[in-house]
Amino acid sequence: MGILSQPVGAIAAWLQALLEGWGLAPGLTKVILYLIGAGLVATLVQVWVIFLIWFERKIIGRFQDRLGPNRVGPYGLLQPFADLIKIITKEVILPAKADKAVYLLGPIVMNAGVLAIWAVIPLMPMVGMDTNIAALYTIAVGAFATLGILMSGWASNNKFALVSAIRTVAQMVAYEVPTVLALLVPVLLAGTMSLHGIVKAQHVWFVIFAPLAFLIYFIASVAEVGRTPFDLLEAESEIVAGFHIEYSGMVFAIFYVADFLHAFTIGALAAVLFLGGWRGPGAEAFPLLGVVYLWIKAFAVYFLVVWARGSLPRVRIDQMMDFSWKFLTPLALILLVVAAVLDHFVIGLGVWGRALSHLAANAVVAWLVLQYLEHYDRARARQRPMVAQPGQYPEARPPAPVETSPETAS
Amino acid sequence: MSEQTVMIQNEEDTLLSRFPKVVRKDERKGYEGYVVEANALTDFARTLRDELGYDYLSSVTGVDYLPQGQMEVVYHAYKTTGGPALVFKVQVPRDNPVVPSLVPIYPGADFQEREAWDLLGIKFEGHPNLKRILLWEGFHGHPLRKDWREPYFEAEHKPYKSRFPEGKVFRAEERNPFGKNVDYPAGFDPAQWTPDNTNALIYEGLGRVEKASDDLPTEQIVVNLGPQHPSTHGVFRMVVTLDGETVVDLEPVMGYLHRNHEKIGERNTWLMNMPFTDRLDYLSPMSNNFGYALAVEKLLGVKPPERAEYIRVIMAELTRIQNHIFAIGMFLNDMGAYFTPSLYAIEERELILDVFEAVAGSRMMVNYFRFGGVARDIPEDVMKKIHDLAFERLPRRIDELDRYLTNSEIVRVRGEGVGVLTPEQAIAYSAAGPVLRASGVPYDVRRAEPYSIYDRFDFDVAVRYHGDVYDRYLIRMDEVRQSIRIIQQALQQIPEGPIMSGKPQYQHRVPAGESYGRVEGPKGELGFYVVSTGKGNPWRYHVRAPSFINLTALAEMTKGQKVADTVIILGSIDIVLGETDR
Repeated sequence: MGILSQPVGAIAAWLQALLEGWGLAPGLTKVILYLIGAGLVATLVQVWVIFLIWFERKIIGRFQDRLGPNRVGPYGLLQPFADLIKIITKEVILPAKADKAVYLLGPIVMNAGVLAIWAVIPLMPMVGMDTNIAALYTIAVGAFATLGILMSGWASNNKFALVSAIRTVAQMVAYEVPTVLALLVPVLLAGTMSLHGIVKAQHVWFVIFAPLAFLIYFIASVAEVGRTPFDLLEAESEIVAGFHIEYSGMVFAIFYVADFLHAFTIGALAAVLFLGGWRGPGAEAFPLLGVVYLWIKAFAVYFLVVWARGSLPRVRIDQMMDFSWKFLTPLALILLVVAAVLDHFVIGLGVWGRALSHLAANAVVAWLVLQYLEHYDRARARQRPMVAQPGQYPEARPPAPVETSPETAS
Repeated sequence: MSEQTVMIQNEEDTLLSRFPKVVRKDERKGYEGYVVEANALTDFARTLRDELGYDYLSSVTGVDYLPQGQMEVVYHAYKTTGGPALVFKVQVPRDNPVVPSLVPIYPGADFQEREAWDLLGIKFEGHPNLKRILLWEGFHGHPLRKDWREPYFEAEHKPYKSRFPEGKVFRAEERNPFGKNVDYPAGFDPAQWTPDNTNALIYEGLGRVEKASDDLPTEQIVVNLGPQHPSTHGVFRMVVTLDGETVVDLEPVMGYLHRNHEKIGERNTWLMNMPFTDRLDYLSPMSNNFGYALAVEKLLGVKPPERAEYIRVIMAELTRIQNHIFAIGMFLNDMGAYFTPSLYAIEERELILDVFEAVAGSRMMVNYFRFGGVARDIPEDVMKKIHDLAFERLPRRIDELDRYLTNSEIVRVRGEGVGVLTPEQAIAYSAAGPVLRASGVPYDVRRAEPYSIYDRFDFDVAVRYHGDVYDRYLIRMDEVRQSIRIIQQALQQIPEGPIMSGKPQYQHRVPAGESYGRVEGPKGELGFYVVSTGKGNPWRYHVRAPSFINLTALAEMTKGQKVADTVIILGSIDIVLGETDR
């Protein structure tokens, strides 16, 4: 068992031998090994957030025609550390009449919900929990983050936080549906709910099979995470900071980390479901390369999220609901049915034949959707009421100083 | 005899014959308009609005004539078809000033009457909500009364001689330790006092809508948006009653930035006020200078030389451009775009501020205009810079903004049909500027009553017909384009010559009389009402602030909309708190 072909397995085997050599029972060593593995993944991804913060600030800076952080360390790379030190030294303030236990649990629950998703993400072949319901599991624990937000919004004893919490729940309920429906497409194509199985099935990336499902999954996930243009839960210009308005110091930092990590996590999930996960040249032989590939793909999706944040305004709550229930959900349903029916007929065509016929079906659906959208746009433009007709009010001018003849002027 | 004179003659005949004895012409030297008896005011105003077409009440203010023992309320009404103002006044005894409220006839008088009550203590009978507006309810006295004196009072007028004993600066505050000379009401101890009723007074006025019994039972909550809030553009406060996400009622609360600008203005000499006007709408200082200079020049009877007129127009239009671009950027911010549009907007604004810095020495507090001209000429290289801006950069950048923002799906769905103000409402609420023009009323002071040399330029009055937030955004785009046109023409026509008529003066002898100078500021009609008694200081100095008066329509526009809309409706009015609170 070489360290290059089975890096994690090799280390695990060595550790197991070491622990058993100390005389621990085999069952106990297994538990200890799992704990080490879980702790390692959870810590590493949270440390990774430090880099994400720098990256996002830098990229947004460039979008906004400025430099971004560039004072602390080379290219401002140490800026997040400076922020971190500052935020750790700050006092954790408990608002008067806040529900203390729930208030402090909120950020932890949110962060835990996000971290729990990482348990099933296949970082490389053979690593990551391989359960046969992994896809379902990501949705289920992902909703945990929403619970955390609801808890903190409710417990803060602040009206802005309360409005934010209620918005979050509405948003989660609305966008969970298209997320699940879009997620069912790769599940259906791979024939398994296991994320390892889905990655293994992607000899051709599923984004080529189902670009529209990828788009819906991406949009709905962005909405679930609450990033622009769906950042209603922390809408700065409306409800100031929403659910975390009362938080300060380290408890706020947990929210902050969870927020960035959640955004990156949906990138990783999208990469696993649609972009081939750890797949790439040489990844089978050298699994460590697989982590790099997955990271690059997750990062590409994350970049799209940041791009949206740097360029889009926010939608309104009712428009957001409309968008989910009246557009994304029906479209996702249609795509699911199309994928299911089509796959029945083209399953024998070989990988590329199958991929291209799915792509063609997607193109047809996309064209129809665009037609509908144009029609909708025109109808909306017609409905917009005018409050005045052109010429109803003449342009204001001073009375013309015209000389009148002496007869009319008495 | 010109048609204009005939018309005015007819109006005068109508008014004087309709209201014999109770209406007379104002015969004082330097004054204009009519003096109306208080009991005839309502009928008079109704006649003006319904029969003579003066449907737009621009300015309401009061003047305290202490020596005569009179309070005077001054109204300026206009026709939305254009033309000069009709001024009418009500004189009431100083010890019991009661005037019928004009809110039922001109709803736009609402805030202005409250302001007059607040600052001058004039009671408006029949006003639906006569509370203090800029000061807090516990304030002692009415500060614009001539016998009211501020803490640290020194003398009625500047320059305070006591400040320079033996040529050294001495500040009054150093002589008056805090609290020693403050006049508190009997039994009032500031250390013991805690504010309790101010909020109650605001909340009481808020309406709650009773719902049908079979509706889902929901609780309405009152939320304070502001005074510390990211999108109130300063320290403005909206007390909002919410039913879920829907706004049931809204009450604007202002005055957090109040500094009694007008009292300071009365203490100052005429020229000293010029830099103070910069601080009103600090985003468009040149326009403020312009309005004040016009008002005083009317009294002085001076006319600036040609070159100065052109410089003024160029500066005023540059101000409009930078204000509108900034407003668009901030509007997008309110909409939730994470600072990107506003930073691009600020980039253009910076370039224009560079021009201001080069000609006036300051980027924002320019203090550039003088009575009868401007302070300094435009240097040659700055002229070239303005030229580049007007002909090259700004048209390109405004097209770029247009391309990125105007057809953005989110901007359109957020803006279309939100915060609709019909033209009837807009006129009734005395809305001005982009808010009025977006509702389909093409009223622009530059066209309606041309001042300075605006009658020489070829430009269109921007007008849109949907009256919603999106149209107010488009209007600003249109106006930037028109302003660029005006600057281009001005740059081609500007002659060489002096920039001041006569010698620059520190102390002006302003003849007695009143004067109202108004300009089309970026935010709307900006008016300065000044009264002179022939002394070195204004007797009364009043600002008709468009940011302040446009807010009258805010509650009307917001009711029934969502919380998120409240913010962008406020953003689309484009207020600056320096001007709102004065």
